[in-house]
Parts: sequence; structure tokens; C-alpha cells
Amino acid sequence: MSSRAPTPALDARGEEEAIDSYRPQAPFLDELFELDGTPRPTARALVEELRRLGPAGLIEAGRRRDAIFMQQGITFETSGGGGATHERPFPLDLVPRVLSGQEWRDIKRGLAQRIRALNHFVDDVYHAREIVREGLVPWRLVVSCSHFARAVHGIRPPGGVYTHVAGCDLVRHSDGTWKVIEDNVRIPSGISYVLENRAAMARLVPELFASYRVRPVDHYPQLLLRALRSVAPSAESEATVVVWTPGPANPAYFEHAFLARQMGVELVEASDLVVRDDVLYMRTTRGLERAHAVYRRLDDDFVDPLEFRSDSLLGVPGLVRAYRAGSVAIANAFGTGVADDKAIYCFVPDMIRFYLGEEPILENVKTYLLSDPEVLEHVLGRLDQLVIKPTGESGGRGVMIGPHAEEAEIARMRDVISAHPERWIAQDVVRLSTVPTVGIDGVLAPRHVDLRPFAVFGERIDIVPGGLTRVALDDGSLIVNSSRGGGSKDTWVLEDGDDADRAGPPIADTQPPALPDLRYGAWTGQQQQQQQLHPPSPQGPQRRKTL
Amino acid sequence: MLARIAHELYWLGRNLARAEFTARAVEAVFQAELQGTSDAAPGVSFGSGGLLAMFGDVDESQHSSQALGQLTLDAERPGSMLASIERAREGARTVRDVISAEMWEAINTTALGLRGGGQPGWTAPAGPYLASQYVKERTALIWGVSNRTMLRDEAKCFLDAGGLIEISDMVLRMLRIAMPPGDSAPADGQALILLQAVGGFHAYLRAVTAPPNAHPVARFLLFERAYPDSVAACVDSLNDVFTMADAGPRNSKPVLRVSRLAADLDFQRRALPDGAELTDICKQTQQELARIDQDVAERYFAGAASAGLRR
Amino acid sequence: MHFAIRFLTEYHYDAPVTDNLNALRVRPATTSTQRCDEFHTRIEPEARVSRHLDYFGTEVIEFGIPTSHEQLTIDVRARVVTSAPPDPPEGSWDGLLTPAYFDAAGEFALPWQDQPSIAGLESLHDALEAECPLETLETLCELIPDRFEYRPGATYVGSTVSDLLDMGAGVCQDFVHLSLVLLRRRGIAARYVSGYLWAAPHDEGADSMELDTHAWLEALLPCSDGRGEPVWVSADPTNRGLAGEAHVKIGHGRFYSDVPPVKGLYMGGATSQLEAAVTMSRLDPQTSARA
Repeated sequence: MSSRAPTPALDARGEEEAIDSYRPQAPFLDELFELDGTPRPTARALVEELRRLGPAGLIEAGRRRDAIFMQQGITFETSGGGGATHERPFPLDLVPRVLSGQEWRDIKRGLAQRIRALNHFVDDVYHAREIVREGLVPWRLVVSCSHFARAVHGIRPPGGVYTHVAGCDLVRHSDGTWKVIEDNVRIPSGISYVLENRAAMARLVPELFASYRVRPVDHYPQLLLRALRSVAPSAESEATVVVWTPGPANPAYFEHAFLARQMGVELVEASDLVVRDDVLYMRTTRGLERAHAVYRRLDDDFVDPLEFRSDSLLGVPGLVRAYRAGSVAIANAFGTGVADDKAIYCFVPDMIRFYLGEEPILENVKTYLLSDPEVLEHVLGRLDQLVIKPTGESGGRGVMIGPHAEEAEIARMRDVISAHPERWIAQDVVRLSTVPTVGIDGVLAPRHVDLRPFAVFGERIDIVPGGLTRVALDDGSLIVNSSRGGGSKDTWVLEDGDDADRAGPPIADTQPPALPDLRYGAWTGQQQQQQQLHPPSPQGPQRRKTL
Repeated sequence: MLARIAHELYWLGRNLARAEFTARAVEAVFQAELQGTSDAAPGVSFGSGGLLAMFGDVDESQHSSQALGQLTLDAERPGSMLASIERAREGARTVRDVISAEMWEAINTTALGLRGGGQPGWTAPAGPYLASQYVKERTALIWGVSNRTMLRDEAKCFLDAGGLIEISDMVLRMLRIAMPPGDSAPADGQALILLQAVGGFHAYLRAVTAPPNAHPVARFLLFERAYPDSVAACVDSLNDVFTMADAGPRNSKPVLRVSRLAADLDFQRRALPDGAELTDICKQTQQELARIDQDVAERYFAGAASAGLRR
Repeated sequence: MHFAIRFLTEYHYDAPVTDNLNALRVRPATTSTQRCDEFHTRIEPEARVSRHLDYFGTEVIEFGIPTSHEQLTIDVRARVVTSAPPDPPEGSWDGLLTPAYFDAAGEFALPWQDQPSIAGLESLHDALEAECPLETLETLCELIPDRFEYRPGATYVGSTVSDLLDMGAGVCQDFVHLSLVLLRRRGIAARYVSGYLWAAPHDEGADSMELDTHAWLEALLPCSDGRGEPVWVSADPTNRGLAGEAHVKIGHGRFYSDVPPVKGLYMGGATSQLEAAVTMSRLDPQTSARA
């Protein structure tokens, strides 16, 4: 980003044209503009402010953004050529995405419903397996999930909560409906960017907020801390919560440190933890201190070499033992990966009906399970029209987008799928909606976005308004993952009349005592003299008034 | 040392602390007011209106950005950061030979940087925020320079005493505005804004296990002696600096009053159950601080400040 | 048959170690043909043990020794009564495709994880062509010892199926792993069994003998009429035949690492020396053995 060359400033007329010439790309839905280029009602004031800023203003704000992010260390590493990595400021786009209050309430209800069902499912597969006995989900499919964790079979965590932190990825189809494209109930990341993005937007382009009441997001760490304390096996106020990071080499280390700092808890690594007699402790300068709840940011595979991958010495031996004994809460619980497996994804609408007796509020994207030979045949015939994903992965790894793939890539994929059809799924291509995004020249262009809201499940499910909007920065690209050139946007959920229950208390009508006297008592005269040496000195009138 | 010089140093400290506190509060309020109401029900009300009220200026008709603007660069407002810094600069000129050269330069540069609308680019809606950032950084630098370059003598004691009195007064003032007494007292919702306004958010998280709700936050800001900007910690430090500066601390009125107040706060911290109303304590403590201010003026400044108060 | 089993494991460390955590899977299971009457464990240095049943139903005994020590003794004693299993069913290949078979098979019918193609499997696979699954199983029990040499030390605990194919030799664990791969390729669900084997020579009526823990397998065979529940049948490819009452089962899993007898970790840079021995004694009159 630092190499971004300053663009010659356009004259005022040119700047206005820059916005007025913005056209959404049919058939995709643009969230700020109608097809003919007029702003949608909710976006009018925003577009007005953007026009006022103009390309030059946006470029300038972008430069300040990069400087602030570099200074605060809000960066991520990209690998350049030759294996060299370099740090870049996190690419926050300055045009926010706007969601109405009503729209958000629907999404929120849909997500809460979905997460509740996923949580039920995790509990079920490790216990009674009712959904299997009911014939809704094939047992064969469950046991073939790479994240099905036999080591935690029969363990029920405190409160029956497994998916404490969930981040389902949503997309908006061209018909305006929201669809879930992927569930993340292992260790979804990105919340730190939601908070940092908002803080940065308020500093960089406060004028954009002028006509809007945007719902705040900064209480997330407190929600998380409360949820973790509520599931900890101890008195809530005494619970010691820790954030467990794999270490500074992890790409999400910034977020781990951010959350620990924001919650005021220790950021620990495996070597800081030890299990004695089925109890988890951390090593401190005052000896061993008990940890009651662990927000872990690493995969099951690496948490306990005695139970999971024994070739890994990374974890904390005995942690599963302590977990089984109920002396420590783990968030997210071990084994939740079985619920966000891409093959299981197909069954989530059935889960919602089965466990909750409700109709799903959010739809799935049409998905093909390849273990059925007929379906496989059908899919192999139209690989160039579908998205192919590996079942056990997340974060966009291994995904092939048919319409964008080259002939050779498709041929290779055909062989791989034929060899292990159960390890892959196919999905229809979703027409991701677009939001105007600032280009290098400061001009807006439509770019595809998705949305990852973050839910916290403790005593209840809380979802911070909005979430992480990821944006594909290349023209036409559908890949929004930051590791693959995606950026992000601040997501605004607007306040409307229905949020009145959260109104703050009235302003105090107590009058405070007067400020302590600012004057200099007996020496006023002398001050006055000094004053006169500096006639324009602004506090002059004040001082005189008191004499 | 000369009473006049001690008096100037004391007010130099007060003005610097006031500018610093104002900057922190403006920054917090600016951030909060850009956005709507939070999911987390607020337990205190503290916005630009409250901020103005702290400085004795209640004007409901004001738009938030205007209000914040007045508290930053408005030379006409005695409570603005610019006014505080200008007063500090004048005081520093008077005592240039007592404070270090580095310190004078740091203060002078700060004032120059704020004059005439401040730095280029501060005109945008982010102006109050940018100006606050500047003042925060500069005052931190000024205090840092004073700690490293000034002799730890009587002069430093009076400078610090002024800062400490001002911080505790500001914190109490804010608590009284944000948490009105009696029936109008809000439910125990979140009070992040108070912590942010003081800059004590991270300290709170590390010191207190309770969520940052109104009551635990107020207790923290009043009683937590490990947090340097709490009222109790300021009073403790005041006790130290006056004991050091006073020629005969055993029968010094301000010293005795300060040490009694420190003991009182410690007693109340232990005696008051969680959730107990703190309004009265805030009020009494603030009154006691005013009396200390008066005692200080009488004992050390030859009655200078008390003359001002009587007016 | 009626056995007393003693499984004694001793670790000697060449420097003090701490936080020695272990999980034991050593208790004989209780099944339709086997009953565990008595069971004791003794740990030295003394440690609090906790027990639970794992996903596969095997009892796991866990303990940890936090303090510094240079030696660890695990002394396990058990008394078991076994009886001969019923005759294996002779269901047809069609029986492998029924929903009942699918449900019972679960993960034990899934292709071997992480071993997409093993060169040299084809000829073995072809040799297992048979009339019914039972016949394939019986053929397998002859085929493996015919083609591979039983040679302790040829492989180690982490060896893969490919290693066995390369070496041409291995131990019971390797034989079982290869058998599982072959059976699953034929569509027969199969699982790894860990246990103790009373391997007294036929001509000698010994009362007691020293041996090692043993591994064999269980294959899921469709029942003879094709309608009833499929049955898990034990087979021992190391000893050329179906398993019987001389086999004392501890538990089963997908492969070895689901049922390791002793699994542990400790802190410290010390290297350890292991001495492990199983002693089995027959407690009932050995008329049947002498006859």
C-alpha cells in the first residue's frame, strides 16, 4: 500500500463525475446503488458525503489509514515472491456497508437459530445420536468428518454450550435474500478487525457518520468475557479466563493479543499451561494458578498430544483429561469441527427443523454431496459452472471456482474428486452482492462482498451488530479471504425506532460545583501585565471579566 | 522557596492536568457519539452535554461536534484545552528559571501547536479528536520531561500537587455528572465511557474481575490505589508530596487534612458494600479537596488562592 | 478358559522427569464370550488414577505424576474367563450392501485414512477373491503369514502399511493394519483389536508363560440368511486362523493408535528405558489342553 502513487488531483467537476459515473454491474445486486446509478434511500446521505470527499479526499484518508495501521501494528503478512513475507496494513476500504435495522434483526434471528441448532448437533453426535437414529444425517458421514473428535465422546461441557464463538459466513444473492455459505464454529477469526475498522473509520472519515446512527460494536470483548465466565466451573466473579494462542508466528496473533488485552486476561501459550490431577494451571511468578476457562485459538489437533495428534508435542498433555473432569471450560469445545464440516452443512436446515421445530430463517446455498455416485456424475459433468470445496477445510483453502478456473485446473480437480469424492462438495456459484469500493485512483468501483457476523454463546446468544464485511479487491473476483488479496469494510447496522429499549439513562440534572478558580488571586495584576505583552492571547477577555 | 513561585508551580500542574484530562474525555466522547446506542445497556450518561456540564457550561441546544470543538480550540472558553495550555504556558514563563529548559520548551511548543486553529487538517469533523490526540501526547511528554529533568525538591512537589488535586477533582466531577443520585440513578449498565474518558480502561480490566458496569467502575475510579489516576491514589500521593515539601508536617493543616482524607477513603473502600451508592462520598470528597486547596493556599502561598475563592 | 494375567511395565529414566502423564488401555473387556472378574493396577510412585470408557468402549486408566522421579512402574493384574465364540456366519457378498450392515460398520468400513494408494496391494487384493466374506477372511489369515515374515524388530510402533510391504516382514500390529486395508477394500468392515494371547505350545501343558501384548482383528460379516444383524468375527492373521478362547480382548479401534496399551508423555530431557512383560497363567484344570 505504501507504494501507492499519489494521483493527480482531479478538479471539482471531475470528482463529481467520478461518483456519478458509478454503475452497478448487472446481474449483481449493489447494496448502495440502484441499477441506474441512483443511490438507494438509506445510502443517499452517505453518497453525498463521499461525493464531497472526492477521490483526492479518499486517497488522503487512505494514506492516513495506512500510517495509523502501521503505527498500531494492525497488519497482516503477505508472501511476496521468493518466500519473502512482508507486512502490509490491513486493507480497510473507506466506504462502509450499510444494513438497515430491520434487515439486521432478520439476520440476527436467523443466525441465533442456526447456532443453536449447530450446538444441539454437536451435543447429539457425541451423545445420543438421535438425529442419526432418526435417519436424517447418515452416521457414515459423521464418522468420516476429519474433525469428528472421538476423544471427547460423551463429554458434556458446562451449560451444554459447545459453540461459544461462531462466525457464519453470509452472502447476499442477486434477489436480495441472505444465504449462509459456510459455518465456522471452530476458531473463527476477524472480530478484531471489526472493532479496529470501526475505530479507524471514526477517526479517518467521521463526516460519513454525520447523518447516521450506527450501532456500536466495541462491547464484543465484554460479551465474550461474560460468556466465558458464565461457563467457567467457578464462581463467576472469580473465574480466571485465559486466551490461548499458538504464538506470535500465527497469522492471527494480533487478534489473540487484541482480545486478551481487551478482556484484561492473560494471553498464554502451551508452555504456560500444565495439568496436575485433572486441573489446569498456568505457571506464574507466584507459582501455579488455576485457569477456569480457556479461549483457545488453535485446532483440536494441537491441544493435547495424549488425545489428539500424538506426533505433535505442541499442546498441553492432559488438557482433555481436565476437560473431561469438568475442571475447566474450553471455548470453543473440542470436537465442534464436526458441525462446520462442509458435508454436514447440507443438513443444517434439517437440524433446525429437528432440534428446534422451526423453519430455517436463513437459507443454504444449493450444495451437492459427492458421495452419491449419481450426483458425482452430474457434478463432474459441469465442474466449470460450480464451486468445489474440500469438506474439512476453512478460510478458502483448496477452493476452486469453476467459472474462473483454467482448463488444466478443472482437469486436475476432476481426478482428485474422483479419487475421494467424500472429501469434496460442490456448490452453485452465488452471485455475491457488490458495494462501491475505493480504487487506487480514489474512484469507486463495484466489488463483491460477504459478511461474517460474530456470535457469542454463553447464557444466551449475543451477536454484535454487523460483523466483518470482506471484500474482493480485484475486479470481478469472488475471493474475499484476506490471505488471498481480499480487504474489509466497516459494517454499519443502522438504528431505527425499534431499538428504544436500549436508550441510555437521562442526563444528570445535578449541577456540579463551579470549577476551582482559575485566577491567580493576589497576583492577578502581574499576570495582566504579561497578558498585555501578548494582546492576541485568547484568554485575555476571560481574565479581564473576573477583575 | 518563594510563595509566589510555589503558587505558580501548583497552578502549572493544575492547568496541565486539566488539559490532559479534557483531552482524554473529549476523545472518548467523540468516539462514542459518532455511533448510536449500544447493545450493552449503558449505566451512565456521559456525552458532550455532560462534558460541558463538567466545566460548568450547560447548553442543551449545542450540537455535539460544536460542544467538543469548544472544549478543544476555543480560546473564549476557560475550560478548553487551548485555554488550559495557554495558562500553563504563562505560568511556565513566570517560573522559567525554576523548571528545566526542556520542560519550558515542551510546554511552549504545545501551546504554539494549538494556536490559531491548530495543525492543518484539524478542521475536518475529526478536528476535536486530532487536537485531543495531540494534547494527550504532548502532556504525557511534558510530565515525562519534568520527571526526568527536574530536581526532586520542593518545586517538583508543588507542581505534582497541583496535578494531583486537579485529577482527583476532575474524576469526582465526572462521576457526579455521570451518576446522579437517588431515583434518577440508572441501572447498573456498562460504563466503559467513564474508563475511556480517564484512560483507565486497560488498568480496570487487569485490576477488576467484574464487567465494567457503573458501580464497579465508580469504585475503581474512587478507591483503587494501584491505579495512578484514581482519587485514592491521588490523595495518597498528595500526602507524600506535602509531607516532603512541608517544613513541619506534623502540625501542618493541609498535611493533616490530606492524611485524614486518605484514611477515610481507605476505610470507606472496605466498609461500603458493592453496589452501595457513592454519590455522597463523591460530594464529601470533593468538598474536602476544596478545603485542602484552601489550606494549601493559606499555608504555602500566603493566602493567594483563598483570596481568589473568596471573590 | 480361566486366566490370571499380569502386565508389568517399568520405565527407567536416565535423569529425573516430572509431569509424567499416562493413559493405559489394559483392562480385559467384558463381552459375550469373555468376563473380567478381577482387575487391579498399582502405580509406583503412587498416583491418583481416574477411569473412563473411551469412544470405542475401552476402559482407559489415566494417571499423572507431577513430582520428580526416575522410575515408573505400572503393575496390572487381571482374572478373566473366556469361552469359545459361536460359529462365524456365512452370509453372502450382498449382505455387505444392506442398511443394517452400513449402520453397524460405521467408520470401520471407511477407506484407510491418509493412505490413498499403496503400491503392491493389487496382487494381495486379487488373491482374496472368494465365494463369501467369511472365505475371504479365512484366506486372508493364510495369505498374510505366507507372504510376510513375522520378525520382531523389523518395524517399530509408528510403522505404516507401506513399511511392511517394503520390508516383507513385521509384527502382529503390522499384519493387522495390512489386513484391515485389504478387508476394507473388499467392502468388509474391519477393526483393530488389542489384547493378550495364551499361546501355549500344543504339546506342552504349561501353566504359565511370559509373552507380549498381542493384536488381531475383527471383521464384520453379514449373517447367514442375509436378514439378521451382521456379526463381528475375530481373526488372527499372525496365527493363521480365526481367534478363539485363547484370545483375551482389551478393546478395539480403527487402528493401533486408538487402543495403545500404554501411552504417555513426560517433561524433561531424559531418555527412558522400557521393560514390559505379560505373564499369563491358566487357572482351570487343563484337561481340554491335554486331551
